[in-house]
Amino acid sequence: MSALCVLLTWALLALFGLAWGAEDLPCSCCPIVPRREWKAPASKCVDKLKLPARYVVVSHTAGSPCDSPALCLNQVQNVHNYHTGRLNWCDVGYNFLIGEDGLVYEGRGWDTKGDHTGKIWNPISIGISFMGNYMERSPPPRALRAAQSLLACGVAQGKLSPSYEVKGHRDVQRTLSPGDQLYEIIRTWPHYHE
Amino acid sequence: MRKARLQDLLWILFISELQAANEPREEQYVLAVGRTLNVQCPFSIRKYANSQKAWQKLMDRGEPLTLVFTESVSGKPSQVRMGRYFLEDIPDEAILNVQMTNLQVEDSGLYRCVIYQPPKDPDILSPLVRLVVIKDFLVSDKNPTQNFVQISTFSPSTTKAQSTLLTSPRTVTQLLPTSTADISSPGFGVNITNVTDITSYGFRVPTINIIILVLCGLLSKSLVFTVLLAVTQRSFGP
Repeated sequence: MSALCVLLTWALLALFGLAWGAEDLPCSCCPIVPRREWKAPASKCVDKLKLPARYVVVSHTAGSPCDSPALCLNQVQNVHNYHTGRLNWCDVGYNFLIGEDGLVYEGRGWDTKGDHTGKIWNPISIGISFMGNYMERSPPPRALRAAQSLLACGVAQGKLSPSYEVKGHRDVQRTLSPGDQLYEIIRTWPHYHE
Repeated sequence: MRKARLQDLLWILFISELQAANEPREEQYVLAVGRTLNVQCPFSIRKYANSQKAWQKLMDRGEPLTLVFTESVSGKPSQVRMGRYFLEDIPDEAILNVQMTNLQVEDSGLYRCVIYQPPKDPDILSPLVRLVVIKDFLVSDKNPTQNFVQISTFSPSTTKAQSTLLTSPRTVTQLLPTSTADISSPGFGVNITNVTDITSYGFRVPTINIIILVLCGLLSKSLVFTVLLAVTQRSFGP
């Protein structure tokens, strides 16, 4: 009889969970470090992206890597300072940045056109960049997982087309980015298309 | 014997899956007569910056018909026009822009961008373009919403694709209204909000019913099992 009671209680709990869950937001499994957390100044960018995007361009910053949240927070700020201060852009160029701490950092986000590839590709793609230089070394698995999960989130939220294609930066521009090692890795991704 | 056959079958399935994984995705474009088709085909900059590109139509038996091709192999931007077909190759940006003007109903069909390298077989670029050209029967109507409605009723397959937007990974439908106003995708927006409204509304009403049903189900199931247990215990017990 006690087993029956347990069963009943579980069923009731599950149902209540369902009923309450029905009013929640569609996807809460997309952890991204938001702009305010890395103390981003307000973006001055105005150009929007036409969504859902059909392409994702993967690059590397070719700068210093970071393997802890504290270091990566600092590094995102550095990249932002370089892009806005030195290059005079309206905001950090990438839509998202990936740290070796395994976290995704919000750049321009899904909705704003980035400055990561070129004048043809920026309006039609989401640019994600791994923080570091990946010619001789690869990003750790947790960074790759974070990127994959970000892209899955994009599809779930309707920001990326379900048939989106991943391109390496060097596939569409004359550049070494995203580095030999990282490039070989993304070529194995299911959505990669040369 | 059986095991070998099964293994062969598995290999065949595996290999065909690999092929499928690398095939270019297909995009559908539905446009009215007289409009212009614009397609962007990316290519690998390292492999194909210095290659010729072509726009081909796939005829009934899968035979490709080359409609227009670029001639430049210098790696510099080039353009070529052949009647209603126009190609712009921008090697530095790894993109091939294709344009077909003054569309006719007979233009409907399957098209593709390729790397043109006769006598070798062409390398096929993504996306494959399925073009559907429809007659515009609203001659003087400037109302964009009306045009949109007309287009969606005329082609039911695209309307179905709209509502299953998130569940059809291979085909992307692009619906372009006949008016010159730029309506990006109101139809998509309407469809999706309708669907979410219905599901969120539907969830609230029958929750109590579900609870009652489950309780009854559980109780009856557990009753049956208890009875069965008791019976088997009795018959096998001491």
